[in-house]
This record gives sequence, structure tokens and C-alpha cells, in this order.
Amino acid sequence: MHKGEAMVLTRKSFLKAMLAAAAAPCAVSAYAQQNGPILIGATVPITGPLSLTGKQYYNSLLMAEEDINKAGGINGKDIKIVFEDTQASNSTAVNAFVKLAQETKPVFYFLSSYSTQNLAVSPELKKVQVPAMYAGGADVVAEGGNEWMFRIRPADSVSAAGMVQCALTVLKAKKPGILYIQNDFGQGGAQTSAKRFKAAGVSVVGMEAYGQNDKDFSAQLLSLRGKGADVILIFDYPQDGALVLRQAKMLGLTTPLVTSSAALVPAALQLLSPADLDNVWGVVDTFMDPSVGGRMKHFVERYKAKFGTDADPYGLAYYDGAMLMAEGMRKVGTDPNALRAWLAAVKNWQGIGHVYTFDDKGNGVHDVAIVKAKPGTKALELVQTVNFNSAGPL
Amino acid sequence: MADLSQLLINGLAIGSVYALAAIGFVIVYSATGVVNFAAGQFVMFGTFAGVAMLINARLPWPSGYGAALAAMALFGALFFFVVYLPLRKSPIVTIIVATVAVGITMQNVALLTFGSWPFRLPSPVEGWTVTIAGTVVPAHFVAVIVVTAVMVGLLWLLFYRTPVGIGMRAVAQDIQAARLMGLKVNRLLALSWILAALLAGVAGLMLGPIWFADVNMGDPIALKAFAATIIGGFGSLPGAIVGGMFVGLSEVLGASYVSSAYKDLISFGIMIGFLLVRPQGVFGERIQDRG
Repeated sequence: MHKGEAMVLTRKSFLKAMLAAAAAPCAVSAYAQQNGPILIGATVPITGPLSLTGKQYYNSLLMAEEDINKAGGINGKDIKIVFEDTQASNSTAVNAFVKLAQETKPVFYFLSSYSTQNLAVSPELKKVQVPAMYAGGADVVAEGGNEWMFRIRPADSVSAAGMVQCALTVLKAKKPGILYIQNDFGQGGAQTSAKRFKAAGVSVVGMEAYGQNDKDFSAQLLSLRGKGADVILIFDYPQDGALVLRQAKMLGLTTPLVTSSAALVPAALQLLSPADLDNVWGVVDTFMDPSVGGRMKHFVERYKAKFGTDADPYGLAYYDGAMLMAEGMRKVGTDPNALRAWLAAVKNWQGIGHVYTFDDKGNGVHDVAIVKAKPGTKALELVQTVNFNSAGPL
Repeated sequence: MADLSQLLINGLAIGSVYALAAIGFVIVYSATGVVNFAAGQFVMFGTFAGVAMLINARLPWPSGYGAALAAMALFGALFFFVVYLPLRKSPIVTIIVATVAVGITMQNVALLTFGSWPFRLPSPVEGWTVTIAGTVVPAHFVAVIVVTAVMVGLLWLLFYRTPVGIGMRAVAQDIQAARLMGLKVNRLLALSWILAALLAGVAGLMLGPIWFADVNMGDPIALKAFAATIIGGFGSLPGAIVGGMFVGLSEVLGASYVSSAYKDLISFGIMIGFLLVRPQGVFGERIQDRG
């Protein structure tokens, strides 16, 4: 070789270098999968408005990773959760998933708790054929028939059924009204509730909608009051849910309100005063309070000490989900088909928040809790638990 | 009837906030020709200035509000020197794109500084309400309407009764002529940005107790203020006020009497109607009439 030849870049050497560069991530990933920890992907809204709940399951997944590894990992091998931010956008959620699928190649996924993002990611998950847990509530996600998706929160139809039960049995509603956020979650919940009221022989006096970015709900609340609603069911997200409760109080509304779980998560509760919660009932995924005792007490106290905020049911769902995933991996390994089959067969698995039993559509949770704030405080107390396990199809 | 008056009060209160944001839009547009796409983030900064002073620094109301508005004035000056002045000789579209970039930066700065959880910014008249014939009027709503009216009055005095305001109007009409007349144009342009930031600060402080302080609150405000400006007339102060009130009332009344599902369609549909039929808005002048 002549002295100057080292500087010459031939087309052949250039192509070789490009090929090597392109193949490097795959090689590194394959090496990591064989010799490093077991990689788990998590697409979570870490920034943006949806991060109010997203940060909860980001935190609880970190806690679960730590706990699983402390307990010996998966048969001696640690797990590592690789996060990608979905923000508040479906396209970002898809990009986050595709990035993980192509670069990290996880053996399991946790998807966000937002149904629209779950729906957007579902076709991509079907392509890679790896099991995933998600927490979006919309029934349409499970109706899509993606056998790789497992829901670790109550479906919206379950929550709606709990809210209707609260209205009918706790508040003895005769003329209920419904206020809902205008998206898959809200529309689905409102329609399911209306059907259940109708089945119970009770007519809904009015259904009002609002947009995800709306900030004024006076027109909707006054319209429902004007129609004579004796109870108002509200399907909401955390921030708008808190705003609805607050504006109802500002308008002097005395009608009892039954809110879905989002308005009672810590991120929403910190925006409310005890007075705002007067005359408000809520249907939450699970009643989270140290007074429950046992593993719940331990989880709630440890989460608070570790992250400085109160845990919410969304976070707990992902913690339970991670523990369930770990148990499955310990029993059948990380082969996607074996793990999917194991999860599909799970019956009466005792998590902290729920007893998990997956039905043929991948729904694992079939119970909710009706709660109410203790008078003069923001501390929630359990009114009753509603279990639909034995109630048949909703 | 009680419901109608309740809706009118709510619509006027939220419309007042839109009007203040729209006035900020108009002042900057009239003086510089720039459509400030960061206007919503200016309002968001105003709310968070309140959070910083009243909640974080725990200042009492008067000094907390004063400090928040001083911070906003400083921010307006900073915006002028760091963003507008270096780009003033660039094409207008460059400056407009810069305002978009600054808006995104502001949102992320707020996110990094205050986090993603919203705050409850209290009002000095928190919890006070007056009930008149079944209409519950929160004292804060009355305060918002009164403060907006006072701000509009002060702006009128500034623009029509003080040399500085008359100078600002001169710069808005013809910057070259104003310079030839010996006016300190840069100083007056800086004042326009400071004034816009101050108005956004007032809007933000008024809005915080009605909505929650949230780093994502800027975009919806900017959209509504933009619609208000187009309906009222781009470049017209009375137009911004009327437009703001109109948007506030139309979204509340539209949601109640037409359909809550289509309430945004109503105000934005009207905006599109104006763009098609009367693009200069209610009070705006056609561009060729300016000369």
C-alpha cells in the first residue's frame, strides 16, 4: 500500500462502511438481548398534558423494575425498561413504538393509558407480534381483536356500569344527565351509561359534550340543570375533570355529581378544595388508601416516599402489570407466543389493585370502587366495591 | 332567564380575557406588522408569573401582582431586544416564524421550570359570589370585566392623550415618517412589546383562577384571541374588544342553545365567514385605506 492510499475512500469501502453502520444497531441489540438484561419497552406520555397520569406509570414501572430485579430478576436475569415519550399525540405514540420495535426490540411492551394512542399503536404491535399491556379504557380497543394486547385497567364499559350503579343505587337517580369529553373514551362511556340507564327503565334527560381543550363548562352544566337532572355523570380527564367540579361549585350547582376516575387522581385533587368535592361521588379503578392495609398500604407509602407524590390507580395498574409480566416470564420465558398464551390463560391473579382474570378480549380487570370525599377533606373513603366478574357480559 | 344571565356573565368574563389577549396581538401587529404567534404563551407566562410570585414566593396580593406584572414588562423588553431587534430588518415572515419558535421555547421553559402538573392560582376574591335572581355571579368574574374595562380606558388615555401614545400611533401608521419627525422609533417599538406583554400578564393573572395554570394553556387562548382579532378587525383596538367579547359569548351561548359538541365550530365558523365576506372584520380598515 502506498503512503497516500489510506486517505482514498473507494466506492466499495464506502458501501462497506455504510452497511456496517446500518447493521451496527441490530448487532448491538442482538448482543444486548443475549447477554444484557431483558429489555422491556414502555411508550408513556412523559411530557405534555397527558403526562399528568403518564408520569405515574413512568414512576411505578421504574419501581417495578427495581423490585423485580431485587427479587432476582427473571430467573437470575435482570430486566430493563426502555422508555419512549408518546406526548399527547397519536403519531408520536406510533413513532415511539416503532423506534423501540426497530432499535431496542423489546420482548414485552407497556403502552400508554390513552385509548386513542392504544388504537393508533395496535396495528404496529400486531406486526411485531410481541405481547403488550395497556390501560386505555375504550372498549373499542379490545373489540379490535388484537390478541397481543392485554388491558390492565377496567374497560370504560365497566367504569360506566359502576357510575350507573352509583347513580341508581347510592343516589337513587330518576332523571340522570351525562357530561362527557368528546373522544373515544367519553363518547363510549356516555353511550354505555345511557344504554344501562335505559335497561334499568330510567331515561337520561340530557347528554352534553365538551372538547378536550375546553375550559368553560357552564353552558353544559346549566343545560343539564335546566333539563332537571337529579344526578350528573361526568366522563372526564384529570385537568378538565377538576375544572368541571370547580365550575359546578362556582355556579352553585347542588345536583350530585358522579365523576369517572380521572378527576380524583392526585394530579386533579391537588387543584380542588374540600368544598369543590362536596356532593361529588367518584368511580375509581381501585380504592387506594393506607387504611386498606397489606400490600396496598406498603405500595402507597413507598410510592409517596420515593416520588414525593401520592400514587394513583393508573400507576398501580402498571405496577401490577409488570409483576404479572415478570411472573409469566419466570414460568414460560420470554418467547412471545408462550408469554401471550400464558397471559391469556391468567385467572384470579392477585395483584395489589385487583384480582386479574383475562377474558377472550384481553380485559383483565372487572371491578371498580365507588368513593366519596370525607366531609370537609379531600381524603377519599370507600362507599362500595362493584364487581362485574360474575355479572356476565356488560 | 337566570340561566341566560348566568351564561352572559360567564361569556363576558371569558370574553374579557380573550379581548385582553387580542389587544396584545393588535398592538404588536399595528406597530410592527408582526403577527405574534407566541401571544398565547405570553398569557401563559403571565399566569405562571402569578404562580411564581403568589404561590412560590408567597408574596401578598398587591405586591405579588405588581411583581408578576413587572416580570412580564421585563419579559416584553427582553423579547424586543433578543428577538425583534436583531431580526427587524429581516422579512416579516422571518420574524413571524421566530415568534412561533419563541412560543415553543417558552412552553418548554415553563414545563422545565414548573413541571407538568397544573396549579391552582387563587383569586383575591376567591369564593365570593353574589346571587341575583338565581344568577350566581362569582366576584372574580366581575373583577375580570372591571379590570378589562379599566385597562381599555387606560389604553385609550395612553394612545389619545399622551405624547408617548400618540408617538406609538404615529409609528404604527408610518414608521419612516415617524423617524423623520424625530420620534425615537426603537423606544416606541420596545414600548409596544412591553405593553403587549403587560396586557398578556393581566390576562394571565385574570385567567389563572378561572382555568388552571397549565403550561399548555397558551394555544387555546391564542386561537381564540386570533379569532377575536379577525372578527373585530386586524389592527383595530375596538375590534379586539368587541371580537373578544363576541367569541366569549358565542362559545358559551352556542354551547347552550345550539350544541355543546359544536361550540368551537360556531366561533371559528363565524371567523371563516368574516374572512370570506368581510376580511377586514367589523372595525378593521382595508389595507389600501391605510395610506
